[in-house]
Amino acid sequence: MEKTKSLKNPLIKITGLLLLLVSFIAFIAKAPAFPIASENLLPWSVWFLIAALLNMVVWGILVKLMTYVLAIIWFFALIAAWVPDTSTVTATLTELDWDDPEAVIEFGEAIFKSKGQCSACHTLDTSAPKGRCPDLTDIGNNAANREPGKDARTYLIESLYEPGKYLVPGYGKIMPEVWKNPIALTKVEIAAVIAFLQSQGGEADPTPFDEPIDRAEVGTTAEALPPLLTGDPEEGKRVFIDAACISCHEIQGLENPKAGEVNEDFEVVTAPKLTEIAAFNEPRYIEESILLPDAIIVSGYGSVTVIAQGVTYQGTLVSQDTEKIVVRTKADDGTETEHTILLSDLDDEPIEDLTDLKGRGYLTLTITPIDSDTPVSGEIVEESDTTVTLKVGDETQTFSKTDMKKQMTLPDYDGNQIVGELVSRDDFEIVLIVDGKEETFDPFDFDDSNFVVASASGKRLKVKSPMPANFPDLLSFREMADLLAYLSTLTGATAEEGSDEATSDTQEEATE
Amino acid sequence: MCRCSSQTKKRIFLIIGFVLLGFVLFSIVPAFAQDMTDAEYRPFPMIGSRNAAWIAAQLHLLFGAFILGVPMFAVIIEFIGWKTKEERYDRMAQEFIKLCMGAFSTTALLGGVLVFILLWCYPKVMSKLSGIFGPTMIFYVVLFFGETFTLYLYSYGWDKMQGRHKGWHLFLGVLLNVWGTAIMFVSNTWLTYQTSPATQYGKLSEKAKEGWLEYTLSQNPELTRAEVLKDVTDATVTNLHNETTGEFLGTVWDAVNNFTWMPVNIHRLIGNIAFGGSIVAAYAAFRFLVAKTKEEKAHYDWMGYNGNFIALCGLIPLPFAGYWLGREIYMFNNTMGVNMMGALFSWLFIIQAVMIGILFIGANYYLWSGMGRIEGAEKYARYRPIMIAIIVICVGIWMTPRTLSSISTASEQSAMGGSNHPHLGWFGLMTAKNTVVNIVILTTFLSFLFYRRSGKHPTANWKNLGNIVISSIFFLGVVVIVVIGIVGFAVESDVRVNVLTPWQVLVALAVMVVVTIIDIFMYRKATTSGTIKWGGMTDRSQYVLILLAITFTSLMGLMGYARSGLREGWHIFGVMKDTSVDAYTPSLSSAVNMVSIIMVIFFALVGFIFWLGLWGEKKKQKAVPTMETETLAEGND
Repeated sequence: MEKTKSLKNPLIKITGLLLLLVSFIAFIAKAPAFPIASENLLPWSVWFLIAALLNMVVWGILVKLMTYVLAIIWFFALIAAWVPDTSTVTATLTELDWDDPEAVIEFGEAIFKSKGQCSACHTLDTSAPKGRCPDLTDIGNNAANREPGKDARTYLIESLYEPGKYLVPGYGKIMPEVWKNPIALTKVEIAAVIAFLQSQGGEADPTPFDEPIDRAEVGTTAEALPPLLTGDPEEGKRVFIDAACISCHEIQGLENPKAGEVNEDFEVVTAPKLTEIAAFNEPRYIEESILLPDAIIVSGYGSVTVIAQGVTYQGTLVSQDTEKIVVRTKADDGTETEHTILLSDLDDEPIEDLTDLKGRGYLTLTITPIDSDTPVSGEIVEESDTTVTLKVGDETQTFSKTDMKKQMTLPDYDGNQIVGELVSRDDFEIVLIVDGKEETFDPFDFDDSNFVVASASGKRLKVKSPMPANFPDLLSFREMADLLAYLSTLTGATAEEGSDEATSDTQEEATE
Repeated sequence: MCRCSSQTKKRIFLIIGFVLLGFVLFSIVPAFAQDMTDAEYRPFPMIGSRNAAWIAAQLHLLFGAFILGVPMFAVIIEFIGWKTKEERYDRMAQEFIKLCMGAFSTTALLGGVLVFILLWCYPKVMSKLSGIFGPTMIFYVVLFFGETFTLYLYSYGWDKMQGRHKGWHLFLGVLLNVWGTAIMFVSNTWLTYQTSPATQYGKLSEKAKEGWLEYTLSQNPELTRAEVLKDVTDATVTNLHNETTGEFLGTVWDAVNNFTWMPVNIHRLIGNIAFGGSIVAAYAAFRFLVAKTKEEKAHYDWMGYNGNFIALCGLIPLPFAGYWLGREIYMFNNTMGVNMMGALFSWLFIIQAVMIGILFIGANYYLWSGMGRIEGAEKYARYRPIMIAIIVICVGIWMTPRTLSSISTASEQSAMGGSNHPHLGWFGLMTAKNTVVNIVILTTFLSFLFYRRSGKHPTANWKNLGNIVISSIFFLGVVVIVVIGIVGFAVESDVRVNVLTPWQVLVALAVMVVVTIIDIFMYRKATTSGTIKWGGMTDRSQYVLILLAITFTSLMGLMGYARSGLREGWHIFGVMKDTSVDAYTPSLSSAVNMVSIIMVIFFALVGFIFWLGLWGEKKKQKAVPTMETETLAEGND
């Protein structure tokens, strides 16, 4: 009784009430947490619950009721904060780098899962219950066999532009024309989706094509509208902090509230400073860097994995010239080491698919022409869809991509493997030349899921951005616009005075 | 001349002022919007255009729902009081209308604010809408005047129009509801058109048919009229616009009679009753909790019970109306339907399931709690654990998400063999959810049946047979609903949506109707073992009534976001693109936070109105100390 009386001290009552209101507002406004700066949600909820309980004890019926009402509203907001967030629109691109198939496929996947709304009906998982529309696992392969005389790409283009043309048995005519309103995919977006679908069990061929429609007739545009800098820079700054960009990128004058904490979501790396990013780059470049982090990688910040003389090096590519690369690796204890690796020391990797070799990071190629027994090695000079030109010694030679001998690796179930030149192969026997002798093998004696048929081998240096690959998916359209608006204000003018050295570093990095 | 007090006169002038303000605003919409089409958008300071419109629209809708919902049951209760000659019913109906009066001017004010925001921030959209719906806006103003003056006459004439004038007073009450319902139907046309600007060919006017035909022929010059019409049936979904230019091809009626108009009308009509009942019950709970005398507690206990009963009457058919609305959305645009239930908004429906689960559990708890104050109700207590288990299991199934891809790790998905749980994944499908909803509704109906029977003993000589028949009907109904649900897993979605689910609904409705009829006859001459001890409810049960009101309100806010968000980046779906910075559907958590802010403002305003009522009453009681206190309300309802 005495305790209850002492609790009803006016100071405690007012404190309880203020804490209740502040914690509720802070929770709803997603304000930075206090005193724990790890998660926004929980600490304010804890404060709110403490305040709610206190108010229910110390106050009279009116404040009790107000507390009760707020607690119910808080509860619903808490549930909504726990379930996955969804946004409606991916940012738009007016053009794609067709020489970078992986980027096109990645963009196509994003459209497939968001703006295109394809994943609402189509699954990519054979174990999922039957969806409203056909499962698209292996569609890249299956599409080639659906209609006689039509390759996968043609079939997919026709299916997307005229959904009722080829109906899979057992499914109705429910797919909308995605190029029309309201989904209104642009030509670029449809091309990217087709590349993504081709990559499902087949080979992507991301090249522009002529649309079989006249968009002027239906009032939709072929190209997406250019992005507008209509976001709120202040909100963008919050996104920059909340989306953890600040963990890796430094902006002069902007403090990282989580500095020094261990981030379990991704590896914190040193990334380009962005203090003056907008002074030397167009908004288009900044947008592309957010959406397609691998499109252009600032020198010295790319992430590589290379195997040289049997040793794997994974780290940051510090520098690169025609003979060597320098890779900085980081040990578990945080110690950083720089390794100079001669390009000639890189191990050859088997190459199954000879398309877009340079785009995929191959530097050299070793092949055996079909009419020769001697392998040829050289630096890749140029390539087309059907040929590749190598610099062999001091001269250049052009080879057909199709007329070359293939090496096949047959792994058995005990971990042993047989490697030989592929002569012929069907479901019941595989004929290889092993050590100059022709031998026949039964496919059932080997692990067919790990068969490797390589047309060539080569040294590869694939540089990737260390930014999380799914970063664009994590942001809503509004957050993307806000972030872009914020980054576009970073001309260096608002940064605090820094040393000359720091400024010149930033300029150099931003322009690269 | 009205012999009203000066305070009442002031209030009338205040309300007339607000109404005239609303009238002026609506009158100038077309002209104002026409002059402002140069700018597509104008930013609203601080909070942005969309948030400003969102807050004003939602608050306007909540107050509007209250003032449209409450008169519906007020007039029914007044009629009951007139017929039974029990004055307490009449007083309760009058008290409901007093609450309405407090909310009426706020509704008009918020409507005016909303129009100002829309005109300022979205001139081009308003120009387009007023260009199509101009005549309906004028009609709206006329209806609003009718509603306003009928409400004054109904409310302020209550005491005068007793006795032989009671019939005319009831007529005013009915007229008030006619105006109110018409107002809602008219305003629903604008927003439903934005969501589904199309209709079925058979419902089109001749002008729209001709316009559509000409447009189709211009797009396909190789076709003849006969060839175009060859595959067209009355059910064919027909766009009301030239797809290239967005030009409207029909009449006002074509725009009004769009796909979702009537389902939204019915859904809102029933929803308003449930919402109004729950707010009245919350008001009664508030008054119960602050009551100083036994008489007051008894009165507000009785009022809370009636409010909750009305809310339940609305809640039970509400899922059926919601289902019809959902079906129409699918029929209008399959992608929109899929987006609603299976993609973008699928997690919203999980939250909806949590809220509706709370509503049903809370409503059942209140009924069970209420049986504690009825002598002779103890015999039904043994069924409670089973009923609780059924409701909790059903709500659990209702809350089960279909795909877990967003919340599971790669290793978990690998262990599950995909993004669906191998066993629980089945509960995520619509057929399972529809099944459990019907079972929850029947269980709640059973709770009410027990409440109704509490303290009564049937005298009909066929009572044992009657009980067996009622039990069998319940049992068979549930079995049929479950069997249809299981069959639903194996059929195409078209069959499930158009055949099986409607049958489930019909079976549930049939069970309720048939059982009610049998029960009424069985208990017609029942003897009573004990009266209801009004005022004997626990404080806990009153908090449940408040919980129900907040949940109803939050649910309305949440579903408003869904209905509006379905348009995604369109002001008018597929016709007028949203090119503003807000051209996207906000994330669920952001939307619920916005709804939370609106809830706080709404309950602050409602609390203020409640408090004003209490304050005014205290002043009156001080001024007239000899006034009769509330008599103990007794009887078996």
